[in-house]
Amino acid sequence: MATVLLMTFSHWIALALSLGILIIIVLFLHLVRPWLKFLENLGFACLTFFIIAWLAFDLITGIVSGLRLLTIGTAFFLFFQTTPPNRLSNGLLKMGLPYPFAFVLSASMQFVPVLIRRARNIRDAQRARGIPIEGALGTLLHLPALAGPLLIQAFKFADELAEAMEARGFGISGRSFRYELRFRWIDWVAVAISFTALTIVLSIQFF
Amino acid sequence: MILRFEGVSYSYPGVDTPALDGLDLTVHPGESALVAGSSGSGKSTFCRACIGLVPHFHHGKFAGRVLVDGRDTRRHPVCELFRHAGLVFQNPDAQLFNQTVEAELTYGLESLGMAPSEIEKRLAWAGNLTELDSLMERPPHTLSGGEKQRVALGAILTLRPRLLLLDEPFTHLDPEGTEALRRILRTLKSEGITLIIVEHKLHSIIDDVDRLIVFHQGKIVAEGSPRQVLAGEISAYGLNLPPLSQLFRAFGLNRTVFNVDEAIEELKTQDLLRSFSTRLSDQMTKPSNRFTAVPHPIVEAEDLSFNYEGHSVLRGVRLKLHKGECVALLGRNGAGKTTLIKHLNGLLKPHRGFMRILGRDTRKTPVSELSRHVGFVWQNPNDQLFRPTVREEVLTGAKIFHPYDPVWCDELFNRFGLLPLLDRSPFSLSEGQKKRVSFAAALAAKPDLIVLDEPTAGQDELFRSELTGFLARLRQEARTIALVTHDLEFAAEHANRWLVLSEGQMIADGPPDEVMADSTVMAKAGLRPTQRFQLTQAIKHLGEEN
Repeated sequence: MATVLLMTFSHWIALALSLGILIIIVLFLHLVRPWLKFLENLGFACLTFFIIAWLAFDLITGIVSGLRLLTIGTAFFLFFQTTPPNRLSNGLLKMGLPYPFAFVLSASMQFVPVLIRRARNIRDAQRARGIPIEGALGTLLHLPALAGPLLIQAFKFADELAEAMEARGFGISGRSFRYELRFRWIDWVAVAISFTALTIVLSIQFF
Repeated sequence: MILRFEGVSYSYPGVDTPALDGLDLTVHPGESALVAGSSGSGKSTFCRACIGLVPHFHHGKFAGRVLVDGRDTRRHPVCELFRHAGLVFQNPDAQLFNQTVEAELTYGLESLGMAPSEIEKRLAWAGNLTELDSLMERPPHTLSGGEKQRVALGAILTLRPRLLLLDEPFTHLDPEGTEALRRILRTLKSEGITLIIVEHKLHSIIDDVDRLIVFHQGKIVAEGSPRQVLAGEISAYGLNLPPLSQLFRAFGLNRTVFNVDEAIEELKTQDLLRSFSTRLSDQMTKPSNRFTAVPHPIVEAEDLSFNYEGHSVLRGVRLKLHKGECVALLGRNGAGKTTLIKHLNGLLKPHRGFMRILGRDTRKTPVSELSRHVGFVWQNPNDQLFRPTVREEVLTGAKIFHPYDPVWCDELFNRFGLLPLLDRSPFSLSEGQKKRVSFAAALAAKPDLIVLDEPTAGQDELFRSELTGFLARLRQEARTIALVTHDLEFAAEHANRWLVLSEGQMIADGPPDEVMADSTVMAKAGLRPTQRFQLTQAIKHLGEEN
């Protein structure tokens, strides 16, 4: 919802205002530190985006583009910070998504840190025997040394994982859930507020 | 009976040699059995056959019949068998797939569609038993190896299976983790759960089991009470015998002993105390364990400190390694051992203090330059294999450094038994063979220092004895060796000096016997003296008393 909203804003004041609101939410939820860390990556993209748009169009377009990316990024950041993957997948299950798909969605996020750690081990092992996987160029030149072992390990990992899941009843029907998600009145209120806001903004923008 | 194998044979798809070859076995409720055998003897396949993954998941050729709690595994799919027989797999990472420890423990119960009140009850029981209460909200991937292992065990325990199988559960545990797991297993046994534990290192658990089953080439070649089996002729099966049994065998004594008290008792009855003790001390001073340092160290670190994500991992470490010595780096998981060895070739740079390798400061020298002088053999050889053939794999590092020495590399192929494998893909090799390839690769550039990361973990006796030979050759060539290991028996046998890390600080540095004699240091680092050392001490005490 927020994304649609932010895509429609084309004035920098509206975007700055939204960013202000989002930052207040960030502060309110005590997420400043993770958000700053997140900005380390996103900030670079926003800056590049801003510079390109500025050079290609004008300063205002540059600011608007940069701000838009920043606000959308922050909105996504808030969504994933406040919604644990299992809640998300449980929610999707409620909407009728089959269990295996919902599981893959939450599990794939779960294994990112595991694979990152493996990739680090592999990089260290290769550097230790003199393969200079250092910096962007070094990584690119010696990609097979990094990607080869990682892919092989990922396949093996997937196989072992499938076995372990099978051995804990993944394929069985009639699964129960300890935390059943329910749509409570507060959720309806949230939906109502979002829809009203969206309608107002859209009508201001287009009429 | 809870488990019965009737003439079971099995081959994996596309493989001619059977992984299981005519197995007959009956396990009774409440029994605890240790399954041992060299790598590739069929132990893991046996575990998979017990819970129906063989043949349902792996397919392949299956003959005979497996009954689990009276259910024929061919007729019942895995999802019907898993509540009766639970398997804790070898790799803890690949069996944890939920967001929190709590979700992990309840997953199997949710699969069964169990009512929330029953789920809570079982969660409380298993959480308490596996000592996970304080970790329930943590994501599994943030835990230590030992903790992950306990989560994997807890996730199976909530199902209350009557038969519990564990595939090499002690491989990655430090001595304290091993003790904690043994404690849990003893409780489970007292609750009447049937236990089957697969393990290379017999002495981690042999004192606690009723039965020892030895696998060799897919067959059961020996079974009975542990004493009975160990008294028989089993040297051909690649078992890592308990250290005291090995010692007794080496001295030509036939009795099988598992702990120091039994050994003393036996020596007393045979009136061998004195002669045994003389021979023990003779062995201690064997020439390979003696070492006189030359004045200039090849590795020198002073006040070395390193922080990771705000935590201090190493604090004021002082380290000197001399040419030709073999040093063991010991301590708990998480004490900073891996962090310290990664400083030895500049993969990590000290935040304070310095590290010099052959006079070069690691902060100012690139890793690629240092790795010419420092070879690493990592615990998992799969982290480095990527070339199409074994030959290229071994030569990769050496070819980066010019000039590379083909005569030396041929010698390495020969030394590590790689000649018949040179044109094969490294991925098609067994784990022990892969380990030999990574060993040869680390030596290809003729490094002065060679670092071995947990060289014995998960390896059978065959590889252990090969390793002994490799290390002896390296010492003859006056190369310096640094070992990181939890295997104190191995460390005591090979290292002339022990370095003990605890919470990032070096708390001891000296010959193995001196370090083991310091009970404060040993307790602080979570280590226990080797059985051989305990025996020597016990004999000495007896001598003083008389």
